[in-house]
Amino acid sequence: MARYDNSHSRFVAYAKVILPLASLAILATLFLFSRRPDTTSTIPYARVDIETLAREQRLDGASFATVLTDGGELSLNADRVRPDLSNNDVINGSTISGELALPDGTTVTLTANDGVIDGPGRVAELSGSVVVRTSSAYSIKTDRIAALLDASKIESPGAVDAEGPAGTIHAGSMEISEVGVDKQYQLVFKNGVRLIYQP
Amino acid sequence: QGTSVAFGSFQHDSTLPIEVTSDQLSVAQETGKAIFSGNVLVGQGELKLSAGTVEVIYAEDTEEIARLMASGGVTMTNGNEAVEAQSADYDLKSATVTLTGDVILTQGPNAISGERLVIDLETGNGQIDGRVRTILQPGSK
Repeated sequence: MARYDNSHSRFVAYAKVILPLASLAILATLFLFSRRPDTTSTIPYARVDIETLAREQRLDGASFATVLTDGGELSLNADRVRPDLSNNDVINGSTISGELALPDGTTVTLTANDGVIDGPGRVAELSGSVVVRTSSAYSIKTDRIAALLDASKIESPGAVDAEGPAGTIHAGSMEISEVGVDKQYQLVFKNGVRLIYQP
Repeated sequence: QGTSVAFGSFQHDSTLPIEVTSDQLSVAQETGKAIFSGNVLVGQGELKLSAGTVEVIYAEDTEEIARLMASGGVTMTNGNEAVEAQSADYDLKSATVTLTGDVILTQGPNAISGERLVIDLETGNGQIDGRVRTILQPGSK
C-alpha cells in the first residue's frame, strides 16, 4: 500500500479496505441468522374432535314436518340430529320441540330432551322430561311419549302429571286421539285418574 | 208435596279442595269439556259422591268449575247419611246438590224416598218432593 505522509490519507486508505469488508460481513449475516419462524401458534386449530366429525353424519337445527292422513300437521324440530347407527331410516335427535296441528284447529305442542324418528315405523318417540301442552290449556309432564307419523295421535304409555283448568291430575297413561263418530279429538287420561281441584 | 229433611248434622264447607278419582278422564280438545267415567268417586271433606260418570261444567267467564253433573247411578254420603239417585247436580257456587230419579235418603234406621231431593249444603237441610214415602223405624231402643 502506498505510503502517505499525513494521517488523513492513511485513514482513508485503511477505511477503503475495512469498510467494504465490514459491509460484506453484515450482508452475510442477513441470510445466516434469520429468526426462527414458529409455525405452531400462527395457524389457529379448531378444537373439534376430527374423528367423530368424520365418522358420524350430523345435522344441526334440523326440522321434520309431515301432513297426516286425517289432515293434521306434525312438525318436529331438533337441535342436533344423527342417523341411527344400526338403521339409517331411524333418526336420533336431541332437544326436540314439536307441534301437532289437529284438523279441528286445536294445537298440541311438545318438548323433550331427545327423540327417535322412525320413518318406516311411522312413529316418533320422544323421551326425557317430555312436556305436552294442549290448546285446551292442559300442560302434561311425562317421561316418554309416542307420536304417530301417519295419524293425529299422541300417546304416553307411562304415568303422567297434568295441570289444567280442571285441576291437577295424575293418571296412569294419556292419549290424545280422535274419539267417537263425530271425529272429536279428545285428550284422554286412562288407567286410573286422580284429580285435585281447589275451588 | 214436599218434605224438608235435615241432611248431615253439620254444614258442609264447599270451598274445601275437591278430589276426583276415576278410571278415565276425557277432555274434548275443542270445547274443553271434561268427563270422568268409570266408577267415579268425588270427595270433598266429609261429602262423598260416587257415580258412573261425572261431567265438569265450567263457569262461562272464569276458569273455575261451576257444576259437577253426576249420572249413571249416584250414591252420596255425608257422615252417616246416604242418598241414592239416578243423577245428581252439584252446584259449587250455590253449594247445593240436586238429586233426581227415584231418590232414596237413609238416615240411620229411617228412609225417605221421592222423585227429587235438593240439599242446601250450607244449612245442611234438604227438600224432597215427588211421591214422597217415608219409612220410619219405631225406635226399638
